[in-house]
Amino acid sequence: MTLKWVLHWQPNAGSTVNSQILSEVSQCVESINGVKEGRWRATLTFYKPHTREQSMAVDFPRDFLGISLPEQPNKYYFIIRGQRIVLEADSSIQTLMEKLQSYKTRVALHFDGFQYQLGDFQLRVGKVVPTHSENLRGIVMEVEYLPISSVEKARQIMEEFLDIWQEAVSKRSLPGHFMHMEPNFAEYGLADHYTSQHTAVQYATVMAQLIATVQAVQSVRN
Amino acid sequence: MRPQQPQHQQQRQLEAAPNANPDPAQSGEAPPKQVALAMDRLGDAARLIADIRLGADRLLEALFVAAQPHQSTKPLHLFRKEDASMRQHLQDLRSVGRQLEESGVLNESLRSRSNSWGLHMPLVCPDGAVVAYAWKRQLAGQAGASAVDRTRLALKAFTDQKRRFFPHLDDGLDGQSTESALKKHCGPQVLMGNHQEELSDYKTISDVLLHLEKEVPTLKVFTYERLDWLKRASSLPSSANETSIGTSKEHNFHSSNKLRPGSLSPVATEKISVIELLFPSIFRAIVSLHPAGSIDPDSVAFFSPDEGGSYIHSRGFSVYHVFRRITEHAAMALQYFLGSRAETALHSLLHWICSYQTLFTKVCSKCGRLLLMDRKSALLLPPVYRPYRQFSALKISSTQPNSSAKDTSSDLAQAYHVGCFSEEA
Repeated sequence: MTLKWVLHWQPNAGSTVNSQILSEVSQCVESINGVKEGRWRATLTFYKPHTREQSMAVDFPRDFLGISLPEQPNKYYFIIRGQRIVLEADSSIQTLMEKLQSYKTRVALHFDGFQYQLGDFQLRVGKVVPTHSENLRGIVMEVEYLPISSVEKARQIMEEFLDIWQEAVSKRSLPGHFMHMEPNFAEYGLADHYTSQHTAVQYATVMAQLIATVQAVQSVRN
Repeated sequence: MRPQQPQHQQQRQLEAAPNANPDPAQSGEAPPKQVALAMDRLGDAARLIADIRLGADRLLEALFVAAQPHQSTKPLHLFRKEDASMRQHLQDLRSVGRQLEESGVLNESLRSRSNSWGLHMPLVCPDGAVVAYAWKRQLAGQAGASAVDRTRLALKAFTDQKRRFFPHLDDGLDGQSTESALKKHCGPQVLMGNHQEELSDYKTISDVLLHLEKEVPTLKVFTYERLDWLKRASSLPSSANETSIGTSKEHNFHSSNKLRPGSLSPVATEKISVIELLFPSIFRAIVSLHPAGSIDPDSVAFFSPDEGGSYIHSRGFSVYHVFRRITEHAAMALQYFLGSRAETALHSLLHWICSYQTLFTKVCSKCGRLLLMDRKSALLLPPVYRPYRQFSALKISSTQPNSSAKDTSSDLAQAYHVGCFSEEA
């Protein structure tokens, strides 16, 4: 599996993300010779335990996520961030979950956008929207370097690409920047060879970051 | 008059054709096939018209008989039957007419001509040449309709082959850059002379490979007979396959003759024709030897370690731009090594290939960066050029990784982007 970094848009303090930023970012990709290829979509679901009494809910993990990725249409990934657990399952497990009714969907988000090819790099720029809503909650970006699969070996290349990318974005004077937070894959039991489980973990980390940002903005407002 | 009607109707159908699509290019059908189909349909149309004429005669006859006194319902019956078959013929003719229109044989401009069905129309080619009998040419299987097209196609095929099999001939086209490189590096020629004597100690494949394994411990070397390599290449896991690469690689080594010191049987050495150099997670290089068992390399190619498939061989091309560029550069390096000193060509080539283990970590010696936008192809690439002229394999073990750029005898430690290299030379 080729190597991928998942970045998210960090708006400057006091500003929020909007679709204008999204279109500027897309133009930026095209300015570094990215060729638009098609659409992509991933779906992330926050689960909450279904318990008879609300008080019991505290005993169960609160950060239980499920994510489906476009490159693995037959798989579904579960992550419990607090306990550093990631699991790859067949996509039919969602049917099982619905039948069990032990965990219900609290919130579901879509990552929706376009895919670009830039030589041996593949970029995806997507907006984060809750299902049944057009409210833009954030922007994510996937940077994939196709020839290598080793997390360590590709690190330098990815860092340099990120520098080039940040430079291109900063020319547009947007209120914010892209951030990459690399989770500690070893804690999740993942090896140096990149897999979709690594991607799932990166998305979970991104979500935690996005939630923290939103909460910070809300607390400032209040 | 009734009998005249069928003929008129038939004319009207041809003329009042509904909005015909005058597009002559049928997607997915070659011109000779289109012509064959059109001929068939014209044949059908001719038969239908003949049937209609016959039917008209019969209708006339039936009318004539009906005009006679003392007739039963026979003529009426005959008339009805003939009417039905005439309508059917006309229906069929209409559909054939539509098919001919769709295939472009029949269109507005041709209807004015009474006899032509469009097959003799002169064709104007994209290059402006006017070809009188385009269909005939295409039936004869000629790729280009005009002489200009055919010449252009031939020139392209020739250039591609030349670039592929004689890459060093392109050096002459670069002109100044190669001449200055030769002048600059004529100093260390003396040094090369001393080392060549030592290199000639490596006369067999096993010598070369053993030395290589000693010098470059991170490298994995495997040798194969030619057919064995094809089998292995096809069974290599491709990057789409996510199952743990470590275990599957072990399984695929069944058919390889792994070179181990002391355990190499003489029979195997004679048949070795493919050498695989693998730097795990970085790249895989395939070198082919010709004839088998010799130390004469004849081609080399680079691939991603995750690529798999029957196109992974010394004359194949990777799907990734970075490895394609290196492969092109490597072909020139190979020709250089063969040209300058054929006996040590394999040794030099393999060591030079090993210098690529820093492909994704070593910055360009000119601009100091790892990634640079290559202007020609508009791609971001790492430094894919490693100098091969004056490359001395024996120096690898003694050279420090951070030698200064001014020290020309340690060129082997340098790497360049595509754009940076030509300026340096």
